[in-house]
Amino acid sequence: MPRKVGYAHGYDDDYDDNYDDDYGNYDDDYDDSEDAYRQNHDLKGNTSSQKLPLARETARKPIVWSCSICTFDNEDSALVCEICCVYKESFVKSGKEANGTGNNIAAASVASRTVKGQPEKLPVKVADKELISADSYGKASTPYERGKTTNSASTAQKVDKVVMVQKEIRLSEPFDTVSSHLKKVNLSDTSVTTKGSSESLPSCSRELNLGDRPSSSNSVSDEQYKPDKWMQFDEEKEALRQLNLAIVGHVDSGKSTLSGRLLHLLGRISKRDMHKNEKEAKEKGKGSFSYAWAMDESAEERERGITMTVAVAYFDSNKYHVVVLDSPGHKDFVPNMISGATQADAAILVVDACTGSFEAGMDGQVPGIAGVGQTKEHAQLVRSFGVDQLIVAVNKMDAVGYSKQRYDFIKAQLGVFLRSCGFRDSSVSWVPLSAIENQNLIEPATDACLTSWYQGKCLLDAIDSLQLPSRDISKPLIMPICDVIRTQSMGQVAACGKLETGAVKTGSKVILMPGCEIATVRSIEHDMNACDVARAGDNVAVILQGINPSKLIPGGVICHPEFPVLMASCLELKILVLDVAVPILIGSQVEFHIHHAKAAARIVKIVSLLDQKTGKATKSAPRFLKAKQSAIVEVSLDGAVCAQEFSKCRALGRVFLRASGNTVAVGVVTRLVDPV
Amino acid sequence: MQLIRKNLVPDGPGTVKLKPVEDDDMWHAYNLICTGDKVEATTVRKVLREMASGGRDAERVKLKLEVKVEAVEYDKEGSVLRIRGKNLTVNDHVKIGQFHTLEIEPHRPFAITKDIWDSIALDILHQACDPSASADLSVILMQEGLAQLFLIGRSITTARARIETSIPRKHGPAIAGYETALKKFFENVLQAWLKHIDFSIVQCVVIASPGFTKDQFRDYLFLEAQRQDLRTIIENKSRIILAHATSGYKHSLKDVLESPNIMNLIKDTKAAKEVRALKDFFTMLSNDPSRACYGPRHVEFAHDRLAIQTLLITDNLFRNADIAERQRYVRLVESVKDSGGTVHIFSSMHASGEQLAQLTGIAALLRFPLPELDDLEM
Repeated sequence: MPRKVGYAHGYDDDYDDNYDDDYGNYDDDYDDSEDAYRQNHDLKGNTSSQKLPLARETARKPIVWSCSICTFDNEDSALVCEICCVYKESFVKSGKEANGTGNNIAAASVASRTVKGQPEKLPVKVADKELISADSYGKASTPYERGKTTNSASTAQKVDKVVMVQKEIRLSEPFDTVSSHLKKVNLSDTSVTTKGSSESLPSCSRELNLGDRPSSSNSVSDEQYKPDKWMQFDEEKEALRQLNLAIVGHVDSGKSTLSGRLLHLLGRISKRDMHKNEKEAKEKGKGSFSYAWAMDESAEERERGITMTVAVAYFDSNKYHVVVLDSPGHKDFVPNMISGATQADAAILVVDACTGSFEAGMDGQVPGIAGVGQTKEHAQLVRSFGVDQLIVAVNKMDAVGYSKQRYDFIKAQLGVFLRSCGFRDSSVSWVPLSAIENQNLIEPATDACLTSWYQGKCLLDAIDSLQLPSRDISKPLIMPICDVIRTQSMGQVAACGKLETGAVKTGSKVILMPGCEIATVRSIEHDMNACDVARAGDNVAVILQGINPSKLIPGGVICHPEFPVLMASCLELKILVLDVAVPILIGSQVEFHIHHAKAAARIVKIVSLLDQKTGKATKSAPRFLKAKQSAIVEVSLDGAVCAQEFSKCRALGRVFLRASGNTVAVGVVTRLVDPV
Repeated sequence: MQLIRKNLVPDGPGTVKLKPVEDDDMWHAYNLICTGDKVEATTVRKVLREMASGGRDAERVKLKLEVKVEAVEYDKEGSVLRIRGKNLTVNDHVKIGQFHTLEIEPHRPFAITKDIWDSIALDILHQACDPSASADLSVILMQEGLAQLFLIGRSITTARARIETSIPRKHGPAIAGYETALKKFFENVLQAWLKHIDFSIVQCVVIASPGFTKDQFRDYLFLEAQRQDLRTIIENKSRIILAHATSGYKHSLKDVLESPNIMNLIKDTKAAKEVRALKDFFTMLSNDPSRACYGPRHVEFAHDRLAIQTLLITDNLFRNADIAERQRYVRLVESVKDSGGTVHIFSSMHASGEQLAQLTGIAALLRFPLPELDDLEM
């Protein structure tokens, strides 16, 4: 019996417009509908029709368990039926419980121990630890957990015979068994841990609540890929998770200074270095740049006083290992910003509060001529990177005397624009601060002028309040190469970048695209510290062995050897044209950016114009595309790049088109016309 | 190109004898010669002779042959023109109707006989023989990690070198890697410079890039010139100009040529006119889209309403193998001219021409708005 109570999350099953999830459609069902789409897609392709109902069902249904007596669909956390007070079925059958709890690792481990017959002796330490980890990334890791739900459920059959050990609950069973026992899946899907274990461990139910958000399962969407045990997120030391934080904004708004100051305050810059920077900056007569110089290390950047390429730095907040991507703000370096900051999970948009500077950031450098400043351009870009959480740091408040009026003015002006970019108001936080005077950075402000009207979060708290996006480790490894570092002395070559999906560990074999070269991972480094395993979302340097270093180029992709990504030089895109003066024509030449790769490209065909609201084609083969229109186009590149349909891999499916120094369109890959 | 002899009736048959002098002329000749024309030139052919003893002997013979053109081939890298056709001249070595390929070389005269010298052909002839100084300009288009060296002649732009290196991002202590990679990159560009830029031919060299790469490279260049005592660079410092480009890709060449200080240098050349015309087209397209159109179908639609003010067309549309097609475009050009419009024939070897070629090769600015165009599919 279905529940009559509506769930908080809306489900949009007819959702076929991936693009919209970037522009406009920011409901909570973002992930779910996306997954539903992906499944549709995959199923159409090669899998048996039997899977369809299952995938659909799990995609749609919140996790509930149906009462064996009255068949009412109870909430997962409820142990007895709401209607007839019958105990949950899984409670009775000890076998199933081990698997039913698979939707959370912590619970699973607990439960499997319970099965072994020592529920009371469960060490408290384990419970505590699990609780922390569940807390810190409960929400973020849902897709993986979702995947586990279905898969572990499939093992339900075997349970009576085998006492499951924790390891075997992992995604080890072929998906096929699931389809043959469709009914049972739903049953065990909805089951929850036994009363015994949840009583002895009150934390369990809470963890489950965190873990089992009603959602779809996206396991095995990538051709029967089975992640190994070591890929899971349950390692003890991993209390803090990585957050890739891009710092963007108009030129001279103080991005580097802000990042430098943060690093300094959090003790990531040694006194000696800081002193050196200060001294050198003073010598050059640029005293105010001393913090920025922590980020801008090249002579050229220091000389000119602007950032030119994306700088990477690390600090730890209370909740995260934060990877700071300090982007250049200058108009000419937007390509660098794109290739360096696409990996961002969240962003800080730095705005200069000074009179005139904020306006320049909005409307371009030259007063009087309508243009797009980098505040706007960057905001649009980070949105199209897939970032939906933004902290707006209104910097240089000291220069305007911490005036509330100015802050409100900026907030109003920029807020309207951010909304039009598709940022939800709830995921944008506003922090007035001053990097130079150290106001409101890691501690609440002290200046009376500011505290008189602002009592909100300081920047560091705002960073901590960010949510990690979902990490997809259940899929094969994909790591776009952002940067290549060669150590001459050691003859080593390292690829830096963020793992988009999957995981990698020392000794793994990987394949490098383009070139199809097999390499072995010699070691993995994060912030100069060696680590054994890197998982989706981690920003690491992977040192490779057995590879021709010249084949390793930024823009390449490191993949799982059995699942190399495709290359294509002709792509079909769904694009949204930004504010451009010159319309886009057939034959328009653009610079094409996708993950860290760029290429010259031209539009070969404008297939159809799309309606902004519905995403339906309104007109085929239009003459040209004007600002704010969205359309399906075909582009041909002057060289093949690694790409993947957005529905299959988001990171490899986001594209940015630029022409004459402006970003003219952003979009997603809908089809590879000539996959290689 | 030197005009040696001209004997023709406009829109009628005739013969012209020409002598190519520079690389550009090959391009003009390529545009001038169509299938069906007769071309006469001196050439070398390997002839097989049977000896009395029965043995065979190959010999290279210099001949003057006239062929009826079947195919024309232009090699833009080597600037060579090859004309394939059937022999028409009676001689001892080559039978009539036998195939022969003529290679047009600089400083060797050749004669073209056409049945019809249409206005386009006459235009090209006129242009080719115009002795006004050509704007030889060299542009180095750079961005970090990518540099391309172009020579811009009167009607052709040739890419001479392309240097691509991967430059790492600055990354903590690996910052040194960035600097050395950049230096290595500049060194490669300098080598290409020394190899391809001859200051006796080019008027000036433009270094263009987004950001500061151009300044960095210029500083490097002067420093190296001092160090290695490169006289050509030290003496021609004043002829090295910096310009802003939006990227290092070839299509940004357009932006470079558009910038005012470069425009001044090449003011009167065909390249400059083309750049301006294309810019006008885009300006019109952004300001009043119903007064600009592109694509053969749309342009013809506008032409039927006598709406065309300025017609932009690339020369490769006239090079069409299909004679009827060529005639169609010739008639279009003539009738636009007759109705008081202007016509710009773009060289498809220039960046702007290349761009126009990608926009289907034909575009027009209109006298009055034609909103109906929006309803017509491309």
